[in-house]
Amino acid sequence: MTAFDANWSLMTPEIVLAALALLVFTIDFMTGIHGKKPFIGRLSVLSLLVTAVLVVVTNSTSGSIAEVFVVDPFAMVFKLIILIGVAMVILISMNFLDRERNAEVYQGEYYSIMLFAALGAMIMVSSADLITLFIGLEILSISSYVLAGFKKYSRPSTEAAIKYVVLGGTASAFILYGMSFLYGLTGSTSLLEIGQAIPMLFEEYTFVVMMSFLFMLAGFGFKISIVPFHMWAPDVYEGAPTPVTAFLSVVSKLAGFGIILRVFFLGFGGVYQEWAFIIAVIAAITMIAGNFIALTQTNVKRLMAYSGIAQAGYLLVPVATVVGDVGINMIVFYSVAYLMMTLGAFAVITLVTEDTGTSDLSSFAGLYQRAPYLAIAMTVFLVSLAGLPLTAGFIGKAYIFFGAVAGEMLWLAIIMIVTSVISFFYYFGFIKQMFMTDPRPNDKELAVPGSMQTVVTVSLAVTVILGILPGLVLDIFNTFNWMAFF
Amino acid sequence: MVPVTFFLALAAILFCIGLYGVLTRRHLVIVLVCIELMLNSVNINLVAFSAIGPFANITGQVFTLFVITVAAAEAAVGLAILIALYRNRNSIDVIKHDLLRW
Repeated sequence: MTAFDANWSLMTPEIVLAALALLVFTIDFMTGIHGKKPFIGRLSVLSLLVTAVLVVVTNSTSGSIAEVFVVDPFAMVFKLIILIGVAMVILISMNFLDRERNAEVYQGEYYSIMLFAALGAMIMVSSADLITLFIGLEILSISSYVLAGFKKYSRPSTEAAIKYVVLGGTASAFILYGMSFLYGLTGSTSLLEIGQAIPMLFEEYTFVVMMSFLFMLAGFGFKISIVPFHMWAPDVYEGAPTPVTAFLSVVSKLAGFGIILRVFFLGFGGVYQEWAFIIAVIAAITMIAGNFIALTQTNVKRLMAYSGIAQAGYLLVPVATVVGDVGINMIVFYSVAYLMMTLGAFAVITLVTEDTGTSDLSSFAGLYQRAPYLAIAMTVFLVSLAGLPLTAGFIGKAYIFFGAVAGEMLWLAIIMIVTSVISFFYYFGFIKQMFMTDPRPNDKELAVPGSMQTVVTVSLAVTVILGILPGLVLDIFNTFNWMAFF
Repeated sequence: MVPVTFFLALAAILFCIGLYGVLTRRHLVIVLVCIELMLNSVNINLVAFSAIGPFANITGQVFTLFVITVAAAEAAVGLAILIALYRNRNSIDVIKHDLLRW
């Protein structure tokens, strides 16, 4: 089938989202560049929800456009995760941008670039071709660079952006260099054809195939911030506006996982045994380094960066230990849990740090007396991130743990448990501040605006419900044949 | 005819020069140029494979066009951020931008 008689309707959600993002951009022009524009924020959330509905409607049957752009349950679930994640980030941003301190941000541009980032991530998880994948990745990356530097008169924000551009550009070059050898060896950029050719090529050109794999691992590893490619994350997370930090640590990271699964399982699936151990070692280093360095942090956003690095390590464990649909089940379930608990935590962090004007851990002092609901919700998110029972984080972690044990990588499972226990220390540092310290003298009762209330409540509900009844989504996931587009 | 390995060696050398530049140069414009150097080494790879590789076909050249386009977009955003940074700090020396660390 050529591209001309392909079934283009499979791309409906992407096309609609692109059109809506341009519409948001145009409305921004027509209403002047300065000033508060809450209606554009609402329109953006609405656009994302409309796209999410379209994803459910059009992506429920598998198919592909010339085997370049594919639609399968894997793409559908990751697209929903991305869209819901970005919608919640925009709800957080609406409150963030309303504040006097952030009046310098051009709101219309901010929202439309956020929508374009979501579009890039959607194209990324739907691609089965190196070129499509690269374009999706760059739409997401370039949008993220701009978003990180959106407070252009703020020194930390611009510094974070330039660090992100330089290191992100280098990571893209690594990915491309790896891809160029894959293309050279197979004469094709289609992941399917590469996947078929790899086992034979590996016999003949072991060195080149492994080099190409490692270059791509380094580049993608940068995007999902795994050790030793994580050095950018704390700096960028600290400097970027807080809602953008939430975006980077959730949407950008999960889209990166989507693409790692697609490329490594589809493209390099034939030589799984050769690289699984490398991933296992990197997962172990990531969990250890992320959790130990987090212990020393006093800045909330840096602490969440290292916590995010450690979480990426947990998510990498099933990639190394479980092949096929069961492994993807684990990763997707933990991704949903991670999305909800991290965004919930970031909603609270945005409110608190913006209210007190500092992102030091002490800004959480006495939060229970200032806003009891927020303090209790935050406790649930932190407990879930740490992986204690009755939360989605616990179920996800337990599932991954048993997968690692069944995959005969007991050492990795043990490292996972030990580092999780270490993570209790820094997560409980938060809880201690919230419940056992008195508020600072000038801090009064904290008002919770509606949009924040929505994000916190939705995250809280999903985190608890998935912790008690994980079967609700796991039963659906079990019926999926994740990568079934051909 | 020049064998494909010569082009690959050239690309590898360019990639290493670019990476060395990104890691060591202090001037941010030079750093951005070094990133372009790395991306161009990829282009040489792709075009070489596309013309005289074991499976020579047009796809590599198409890929190259996409890489060039994206590199231009990335450079534009990079320079824009550079200007914002310069306005805030009056310097584009890498060493001086140390607000965010450990």
